[in-house]
Formats: sequence, C-alpha cells, structure tokens
Amino acid sequence: MIYDCVIIGGGLAGLTCGIRCAEEGLRTVIISGGMNSLHFSSGSIDLAGFTENGSVVKKPFEYIKGTAAKKKEHPYTRVGIPTIRKSLDFFKEKIFFEGITLNHNSDYNHFHVTAIGAVKPTYLSQESVFSSRGKDIIKSGAKIAILNFKGFRDYYPEQTAANLKQHPLFKNSELILGDISLPYYLHTEKNLHEFRSTDIARIFETERYLPRIADEIKRAAGDADAVSLPAFIGINNYREIRGKLEAMTGKFIYEIPTLPPSILGLRIDHAVKNSFFKHGGEYIAGKKIESSVITKGIVESIITGSRGTSSEIKAKYYVLASGSFFSGGLQSGVSSISEPVFDLKVKGDSKRSKWYSWNFFDKKSHPFLSYGVETDSSLNPSTQDGKTVKNLFCAGSVLAGYNPVKEGCGGGVAISTGYKCAERIIREIKK
Amino acid sequence: MIKLENISFDHCIKCTVCTIYCPVAQATHLFPGPKQSGPDAERLRIKNPELVDASLKYCTNCKRCEIACPSDVKIAEIIQNAKWKYVKVHWFRPRDFFMSRTDLVGGLATIFSGLTNFIINLKIMKVLMHLFLKIPYRRTFPAYQRGTFTRLYKKKIMKSQKGYDKRAVFYHGCFVNYNNHSLGEDLIKVMNALGYGVDLVKEKCCGVPLIANGYIEKAKKNAQYNIGSLGKTGDAVIVSTSSSCSFALMHEYPSFLELDNSSYIDRLDYITKFIYDEFTAGNIPQMKPVGIRAAYHSPCHLERMGGVIYTLGVLKMIPGLDLVVMNSECCGIAGTYGFKSENYEISQGVGQNLFRLIEKAEPEFVVTDCETCTMQIEMNTKYKVLHPVTLIAMALEEKNEGKR
Repeated sequence: MIYDCVIIGGGLAGLTCGIRCAEEGLRTVIISGGMNSLHFSSGSIDLAGFTENGSVVKKPFEYIKGTAAKKKEHPYTRVGIPTIRKSLDFFKEKIFFEGITLNHNSDYNHFHVTAIGAVKPTYLSQESVFSSRGKDIIKSGAKIAILNFKGFRDYYPEQTAANLKQHPLFKNSELILGDISLPYYLHTEKNLHEFRSTDIARIFETERYLPRIADEIKRAAGDADAVSLPAFIGINNYREIRGKLEAMTGKFIYEIPTLPPSILGLRIDHAVKNSFFKHGGEYIAGKKIESSVITKGIVESIITGSRGTSSEIKAKYYVLASGSFFSGGLQSGVSSISEPVFDLKVKGDSKRSKWYSWNFFDKKSHPFLSYGVETDSSLNPSTQDGKTVKNLFCAGSVLAGYNPVKEGCGGGVAISTGYKCAERIIREIKK
Repeated sequence: MIKLENISFDHCIKCTVCTIYCPVAQATHLFPGPKQSGPDAERLRIKNPELVDASLKYCTNCKRCEIACPSDVKIAEIIQNAKWKYVKVHWFRPRDFFMSRTDLVGGLATIFSGLTNFIINLKIMKVLMHLFLKIPYRRTFPAYQRGTFTRLYKKKIMKSQKGYDKRAVFYHGCFVNYNNHSLGEDLIKVMNALGYGVDLVKEKCCGVPLIANGYIEKAKKNAQYNIGSLGKTGDAVIVSTSSSCSFALMHEYPSFLELDNSSYIDRLDYITKFIYDEFTAGNIPQMKPVGIRAAYHSPCHLERMGGVIYTLGVLKMIPGLDLVVMNSECCGIAGTYGFKSENYEISQGVGQNLFRLIEKAEPEFVVTDCETCTMQIEMNTKYKVLHPVTLIAMALEEKNEGKR
C-alpha cells in the first residue's frame, strides 16, 4: 500500500480531513480537479442558519440537537454534536496558526452582509466581518460610510446601502456612500473597470500606498465612525493591513464579500492549504479521477489521467469529498443522478421534473440540492448493488440528506463530516 | 466552421479563478489575465481574427490557469493557439529563430564550447545582443559543454550498457545534450542501479521552444521525427529528465500539434514517475545518507502533468535528505520567455516570491526538475540547483557505481 489516505476533492471537507490525517502522521494525498468553491464563498462558515420554515436560527447547536433526532440521514446526525463542536474548534485552531482568526458570537449566530447587502446569519466569520467591537458599533447606531474603489465593477455600495436600510439591525444607523481612488491608478495601462478584487488587493498589499489609501478613506468617510469596504484589503497579510489602516484613519473597518473571486474565501483557502502542507500533506492539482477499482466492498485503487498518461493511486483508505453538481462530484443525466468516480448509490428522484421548483427563489428550495451519495451512520457509502464500501468515506456536499442553501449549513457540514472521516480512518489505522 | 473539439471555452463560467493564479497577471497589469485573453476573447476571435489583442504575447504558457480551472477549460492551449493562428508572422525574426533552434545553436556551440562561452559572456557582446537582438543584458546564459552528450555516450558509455537485460531509452533533450552532460551520466548511473541498460535513439528538440516562438510547422516536423524514432523502440521503457520535454512528448503532441503518439505513449514516463514505480515495486538500490538540506521547487509543467507527487515521493526515499517543500510558485523564466528584453522585467517580477521562499528556507541546494527553472534560480539566488536524479546518484552506494 502506498498512501494511508487518498482524499478526492480539495475543498473545505477534503482539506479539513487532510489536515487531521496528516497531523496524525498518516501519509495523505489530496487529488483535486481545479480550485475549490471557497473562491466563490463569503468566507464565513455557516453552521445552521434557517429553520424548516425559513426563519432565522438563533442558537445553531440547539437547533441541530432538536432536528437531529428527526432526520436520520442528515450528515449532522451521522457526526453528532460533540464531534461537530470538536471539528469547528480544530478548524479554528488550525487556521489561526495561518494568520486567520475566526470569531463567533458565543453559541449564537451572528449576521454578515452579503455582496448585494442582504443580511444573513452565520456562525464563524473573520475579524473584519464579525467582532465584538463591530457589534457594539452597529448597536450604538453609529454613522457608517459604505465605500467602494472608484471604477470597481464587482460591487455596488448603493445597493448595499439600500438593502441595509430595510434591515432592523441598521434602523438606527446613518449610512453614507463614497468612493476611494488612487491617483496613480488613474493612469495605469489597464482600464480601472477591468480591475478585479485581487488586483485591488495587491494595491493594498503594497506598503507604500497605505498612507495614501488611509487619506482617501478619511476624505471619503468624513466623520463616520466606521467604514465598510468590499473585501479586498489584502490576501495574505490582511490583518496587518487592516490594523494599520484602522490606526491611520481612526475608523473601524468592516469588509463585505464581492462577486468572485471572493477574497474572504480565498484567505480561508490559502490558510487551510498552508496548514495541510505544513503537516506534510501532498497535493495533486488539476487532476480528474477517470476510474476506480472496487472488489468485494473494498476500493483497490483509483486511476487519474487518460491512456498512456494515467497513473494508478493506491491507499488503505479513501475519502470522497468531490462536491456536488457544480464541482462534478455528482452528475445529472436526462433522467438520472450519478456519482462518477465510484458509481456509488445516490439518493435522488429519477423524474427530472421533480428535481427543481419552477420558482427560482422558492421558500421550499430546490429538491436537487439535497441529492447526493447515501451513506450509513459511519459515512460509508455503498455500491449500486447495495454493498457497503468499507474503506471509503464520504464528506461534504457530495452527501445526501441536507440542503446547504435552504438550511444554511454547507460550511458546518463540510468541516464536521471531513473531520469525522479523518477520525474514523485514524481509529482504523491505529487499531 | 468551428471545430467541435476546440470549444472548451464554452465551459468557462467566468469565475476568474485562473486570473488569481496567473503569475504574469500578478506581476503586471499589462496582461489582462488568462480568462480575458483565453476563453473571453476566443469567442470574438472566432468571429473576427482582427479582434486579436496584442497582450496575448505576455502569456508564458506556464499552464497554471489550466490547473486552477474548475471547469476543465484548456485556457493556455486556447491562448497559445490564438497567438499563432490569427497573427500572421511573416518577417524574419533572428532572435526568435535562433532561440527556438536549440538543436542548431547547441550543435554549433558545443563544437567550440570554450570560445562560445567566452564570447557570449563578454560585456560588449551582451551590449550588442541587448541592442540588436533584444536579449536582456542582465540575463546569464547557460554554459555550453565540449561536444554533445550523444558523442560522449557513444565513446565512453555505450559499451557498459550491454550487460543489462532490461532496456530503457533515454530521451535526453537539448539541455543534457549540449549543456549538462553530468545529468545524463547521473541518469545512466541511476538506471543501471535499477537494473536497466540505457540506449539512446536519434532525436530532435521536443518542440517546446518552437511552439513558444510560433514555429508550429517546424515543431510538427520535429514531433513527427521523434514519434517515428521513439515508436520504433520495441517494448523498451522511455524516460526523460526534462519535465517540459516529457510534457510535450506526452501531452502537447496529441492535443496541441494534433499528432498520434500512441506508438510510445504507454511506455514513456518522466523520470521520477518511473523511479517511483520501481521503488514502490521493491526495486530500491542501496543508498547511503546524503546529509543534505535541500529546498524543492516544483516546475509549472510538472505540476500540470500531476508529476510533483512522484518527484516528492522519490526524494522522500533518499536517506539523510532534509527536504523543504516550497509553496508552488512560478520562477518566471518560462523557457525562452525570460530571455527576451521585452519580458525581462515581468520574468524577474514573477520570480520574486520564489526567490524569497528559497532565501527563507536556507538550504544547501535547491532541487528542481526543470532546466530553465534551474537557470533562473541559479542566476537570482546564491544556490546551486540539482536535479532529483543527481541527488539519487549522489546517494547510490559505491558498489553500484562500480557496476558500470
């Protein structure tokens, strides 16, 4: 056997699982096909945001405890509250060492603002999105300046302000709008409208521009106490940059996620990957799994690449964390849903018309979002003939039995199931 | 008519992830990034070739965009194709012509290697090349060796290879042939230790520099020559010590040049994949501890092939090697790209992150698989760069050496 553990998928679930395995000294490899969807995410980790009828969940753990007993197939039921807690603590600690602090509002959810100014519940957020100081500022009804970088097209402060004004949380706040700009960048070779969040992040990461940026913020924000900027104040050392800007401007700085590429998500991606590498994990990027060999309920190997350039990868244990439809972890045919790597048994309607609702914003959401691979209570899936695959575990959004959009629980499920798979493998190997 | 297989740009969902990871877009605003230059612009170019935008030339073809793409779009291929398909290159470009003819230049240079090395490093020569050929003054050139590796092999090595039953063909590539004979000798030492006798066959440059400089027809001719030559090697395994040559032989021939390489594709491996497979099958020669601290840099094309794990796997099996694996970053040279004045600043800018990582790692040596990465790192840091094969050769016990 070559690897102790092969993880298919380099997203939140796969990486959490990988860090835990590598930390225990298991020889671990992650195979990923393209970058993960953290690049399109808000960078906040949702645990449980909405109840069955769509109202906001205040205390997520209590809510999970309440529903867990009712829904046997829900991944949270498979993992259990103590392990969910442990996995989140583990995750927080690991990325803290990589320079990202995740805050939470004790056992309560907190709110974060989305790219279009919607206010949504979540459980873990970066300091620039949720902190006790930020909470106090909003509560006190302070004046908030909602700023943008002049010419940046992936974010519109007018829309944010209009939506925020309708939310009770901001009913006492005075919101003003403004633009910041840098004289140098008005003469750049590139049209400012072509700047993406990462381009602007690089301006913020250039130390010598900071005093000028600070002056711009002060000019645009006037006497406001707090400033919100689209999330582009640096990728790798944003804490330091934010600290410096706050000191120079004397204002509290809040970040709002932008359209992709989302820098809040990118920071989490970089932090988890760094942690994985530090623990000695190996990573194959840009590879798709072409086929696999399962005999008698045991995965023998998986094969990447096409003829002549293919390689066979073997391990004692395998984790499928390949994501949902968007990531290619699940595939839809004309009237069937399938899992392409191992052809595992999936849960989903065979009638196409039942997959979705005609109303895109249906309160009941779309049924296909809860389709996925069926597993037993220890996250082992089974093949089409119903045989359990003992050395294969499933984690993250490839799993059936939950609706990440409707329930607001995608991040929590990814981290906790990834962690649980790792724990299972560690226990089996240490036996 | 649009060819069906060329519409992978349709799978692009405009997520811009490729642009985040593009080393050139990070270093300069002159390049709008792979998304815009690749799938976005391709839709327009198909309709009207006049819409080709001059910024295409900034792409180094490092293929990091393809690794990042969640939707499997062949971004670098689209850009590379567009560069030469829509732009008619009529004029004679002496610099690009000679730079891409590695066989021709190497063949000539190795005859009077001492003189060549002396002349190209003369200040006056560098100034002249900078002015007339647009080859940057500050760039250091790789030294040429006396004679070719092929000749060295015929004279001194060939006889000793007869005694082995298992046969391997070594595609040495231009760098080993003209600039670095000792890597070729190390390869033979390692292959012998694994029980393989090494043969050479007639070969030409793999075509990577030709493709990069727009000589697609010439690249096709070379590829056909190599396919013919490598295809006639029976059931011998074929190995290469160059990650970019391997990439071309395996992937660029069928997909970019549209040639059939099925006559050898099942038998060809980049060297560390081959060694890794031998090691894991239990064929591990005796190695002594090397007692070296080395920092490993993964070249872009090896990343694209998914070959980095095999190099790491092999390196981890060398006793006494204290290995620091650096975060994957492009070194910036990208073959002939960094040897052109108009790209020099960008090339150096791209490499800064890597150079910083190397200094931070404080190694004794840097290890990498690629010849041009080696040139770039040796020019910009104080460290000597070794190929993984050289490290294994260093670790082999004396008695294995005696076998030869």
